[in-house]
Amino acid sequence: MLPSQTPLSFPAAPVRLTCRLCGCGHDTIALARGERASCARCGALLAARSRFDTDAPLAFALTGLLLAYPAFTLPLVKVAKFGSARDGLVLTGVAALWRHDMRLLAVWVLFCGALAPLALLVVLGGLLAPSRFALPWRTGASWWRAARALDHWAMPEVQVLAVLVALFKLGRLVNVSLQTGFWCYAAMAAMILLAWRTCEFAPRPAADVRAGKLT
Amino acid sequence: MNFFPSNLQRRRRAQCAALACAAAIMLVPANLLPVLRTNLSGRVRTDTIFSGIVGLCEDGNWAIGAIVFVASILIPALKLVGLATLLFATRRGAPAHAHGLTRLFALLDFIGRWSMLDVFLAGFLAGVVRFGALANIEPRSGIAAFAAAVVLTVLATATFDPRSLWPAAAERLAA
Repeated sequence: MLPSQTPLSFPAAPVRLTCRLCGCGHDTIALARGERASCARCGALLAARSRFDTDAPLAFALTGLLLAYPAFTLPLVKVAKFGSARDGLVLTGVAALWRHDMRLLAVWVLFCGALAPLALLVVLGGLLAPSRFALPWRTGASWWRAARALDHWAMPEVQVLAVLVALFKLGRLVNVSLQTGFWCYAAMAAMILLAWRTCEFAPRPAADVRAGKLT
Repeated sequence: MNFFPSNLQRRRRAQCAALACAAAIMLVPANLLPVLRTNLSGRVRTDTIFSGIVGLCEDGNWAIGAIVFVASILIPALKLVGLATLLFATRRGAPAHAHGLTRLFALLDFIGRWSMLDVFLAGFLAGVVRFGALANIEPRSGIAAFAAAVVLTVLATATFDPRSLWPAAAERLAA
């Protein structure tokens, strides 16, 4: 339910937020830290104020971007058999699928495991940085829609689980060990989740909400 | 083009049903065809999704086998049954149990991505185990069918409009 003891944050005009699951409209209100507003009809989460500082999502996104370089260039695992060793990177699987003529699948794995997570971090940075650093340009509702679409297909956490499962599966065939790239990739996946979760349901800029762009 | 909400919702339901049917069809080759071919010092083994899970359990990796079973067999099946339930419930307007069905939709939307586990796994295994005749793993066509089924179920869920579960409830609330 919407907490009623807190004052309205945008009193200038009647502002409505629409629940994406049931379509029920709600007035916007100010939320205290850690407070969540749920849909009065279906109970879905409408908005949430993070326990972290307002700069936290941007900090998570920028940390994720910093981690992306080692995550994609350093090996995730080292595999050895009879004295011969191979490094496995994020793109190793993509290359294997491409080599076996599964090119559409290779592109798809590349998109879900590398491009979409990276693009999501860039979009989040582009959304949050202008207001924090008082940059002259602003990003609007179209960037939020892009972030939502990218979040749907960015699956770094599934890739992390796949590498861990591969570790167990390979254990009886070859000698395999986790490398630095894996921890960077896992940390990047965690940063994406934290950045997105802390800003997905964050209160939007009043101008965007009043313009009816964000529902 | 007609933009009345009822027609729009009907069209989206039809699209969702078509995508769910296509996913169900793709799951047949995905589960029957091999997804991986393993060559270990001349001993060749081809695995389907299910035989791969059985292999993990036989090696004592029960927890990992359970994770792969949930991601690769249970979630796609659950998604198709869930989508069929949602489509059946909304075939004649908004259903009575809108609250529970909305939670079901939210669950289907959340779990869908985890089915990609087997696709990432097959690609990664094929990429790192390349030691010629000593040890070699290759992806097989089953994994492409499985990936197509996963993408189709995700698209089917994205096409379904959960707001179509609610109009009758809204009328009840208004009354």
